Amino acid sequence: MTLADASSIRLSLTWVDYLLLIIYFATVLGIGIMAKRRVKTSMDFFLSGRSMPAWITGLAFVSANLGATEILGMAANGAQIGMSTLHYYIVGAVPAMVFLGLVMMPFYYGSKVRSVPQFMLKRFGKPAHVVNSIAFAVSNVLIAGINLYAMSIVIEAMLGWPEWIAIIVSAGFVLLYITIGGLSSAIYNEVMQFFVIVAGLVPLTVVGLHRVGGWGGLKEALLNTEGVSRLQLSTWQGTGIGDVTNPIGANWLAIVLGLGFVLSFGYWTTNFTEVQRAFSAKNMSAARRTPLIGAFPKLFIPFIVVVPGLIAAATVGNQFADGTLTYNDAIPKLIQMYLPSGVLGVAVTGLMASFMAGMAANVSSFNTVFTYDIWQEYIKPNMPDAHYLRTGRWVTAIGVVVGIGAAFLASQFGNIMTYMQTLFSFFNAPLFGVFILGLLWKRMTPAAGLWGYIAGIIAPTVVWIAYLRDESLFGSATAETMYGAIYSFLAVMVVSVAVTLFTKPKPLAELKGLVYGVGTIDVKGDVVAGDAAWYRSPALLGTVALALCVVLYLPFL
Amino acid sequence: MSENSPETPGRISLSQEQKDELVRHTRRTDLRRIIGGLFLVYGVVVTLMGVLDPAADTAPTGGIHINLWAGASMIVAAGLFFLWDRLAPVPAEDIVASAEAEEIKKAEGEGKLD
Repeated sequence: MTLADASSIRLSLTWVDYLLLIIYFATVLGIGIMAKRRVKTSMDFFLSGRSMPAWITGLAFVSANLGATEILGMAANGAQIGMSTLHYYIVGAVPAMVFLGLVMMPFYYGSKVRSVPQFMLKRFGKPAHVVNSIAFAVSNVLIAGINLYAMSIVIEAMLGWPEWIAIIVSAGFVLLYITIGGLSSAIYNEVMQFFVIVAGLVPLTVVGLHRVGGWGGLKEALLNTEGVSRLQLSTWQGTGIGDVTNPIGANWLAIVLGLGFVLSFGYWTTNFTEVQRAFSAKNMSAARRTPLIGAFPKLFIPFIVVVPGLIAAATVGNQFADGTLTYNDAIPKLIQMYLPSGVLGVAVTGLMASFMAGMAANVSSFNTVFTYDIWQEYIKPNMPDAHYLRTGRWVTAIGVVVGIGAAFLASQFGNIMTYMQTLFSFFNAPLFGVFILGLLWKRMTPAAGLWGYIAGIIAPTVVWIAYLRDESLFGSATAETMYGAIYSFLAVMVVSVAVTLFTKPKPLAELKGLVYGVGTIDVKGDVVAGDAAWYRSPALLGTVALALCVVLYLPFL
Repeated sequence: MSENSPETPGRISLSQEQKDELVRHTRRTDLRRIIGGLFLVYGVVVTLMGVLDPAADTAPTGGIHINLWAGASMIVAAGLFFLWDRLAPVPAEDIVASAEAEEIKKAEGEGKLD
């Protein structure tokens, strides 16, 4: 991620703004200490004792994804490619979240696995599990580092702290509250952060819209800005096959299949950083509702993230054009221009909180996978529970330290956002392919799972290297990740089917509850008072979320 | 919590006194109260900023008293969180059931892979 020269988005915070910041972080530590009283077993530390109500896990589900790169990156996309950014939310996130809640969660939660790699272990055995666990642990520490670095340069630009101080202070803070309170602490803070970031971004959007003369004024201002095409106000125009003129540079089929189906289903249904929030829910009903409840705020987040991006394009578009500002500066710049001391403090607190929550989410899922899937499974099995609780705390510390290293490494690279997207197309798309085939097809063999997964990692890597050598292959780096994901998915399908034909499947008895139609999953066995209320029906919540997807597109066709 | 409960696997029962204490403690630290409290403090501080210096409030915003509006909204939000907490507290049987399930798991030696 690149930002402008520090001085152009430097904020002038008063002591009141710092007071608001300090109050917030004192509360965060208080929650950590409070959560510590409940941490007695490794299950408490890693999965919050599976005791969270659905509204908390649902908001944490959205929040875990609402980190530095997401907020600044999506606003940057809004400034750069306009309303098409809505695809990331409406085609990208919400249908996948509904699918997770309605179709996949019964298998996950019902099989009592404690991590996504552990599901891999149950369905496809050890070789696939080892590859998956290591890939997840490594990629997650790298992503934690990227989040940390992104956060440090924003803090540097906005507050004037030196980068290394920002890195050490924020990493130390995350380390403190995760080692103390474990996942509960991370989840509670994610929920609180969600509300604070909303409280900061809503006033920003309101003032911004007022300054450009409302939605009509915004449209007019955008059309008069140099380098902004009419297509940036629409979502689907110019996406015809063979007639691609939209700013993403991909046709509708690539958007729906690449972004909508493979990339986002891969991210939302198999990325343990997200799914872990649902695993910590108190019962099956709450676990299924977690992503469904998360879908509703997710639908409205673009209005406080993408719209400010558009406002930035309309007001400081000339500064993006001449290089004074980069697109990542969209939100910090608007905060600097429009918010007076007071709300300013809330907005800055919200941004800092979301940066830390993003990193905390990576760290808390990394320590779970490392402790349960690598340490307990292959290095030190059969130890007392206290051993794994202690290991978890140590691994958290090591993860944060390695993350700091990765942050300094990330500072050597230019465009971080694209690397992140590419990482997801390498690791999440093939995992989704393997899981979906494995869930639907009981004949699929363990060997097919392993080789299909590996082929699915290699295919997008080849596509990416080809793109690096010849940039004319795809319309944009974003389009490359979409096509990379599609090729990855196809590679998984072809290789898995081919390998299955020549290898031995698992006996049916070992697949109960892991494959569609083999055995039954009891989705009602652990209901508690109130789960039966009509508005808590997963099918209803999912249907309403999907209907809202269609409705939200209508004004921006 | 129930530190002293007997470690007999499969059947853990808490005394009424322990149950009441557990319910009280869990409700006292309900996340809705914490968020409500934070928003109350934020709302008051931000509103005061708007009241004490109206000129600074409207200068960058083009006329909107954003601190007043945001501060008042946060106070209302805090009220809604407190109200929600009051009208729909965590059911006592959920708290007790979850604590008992935890005790059973502990007694069984939770932590091994199956």
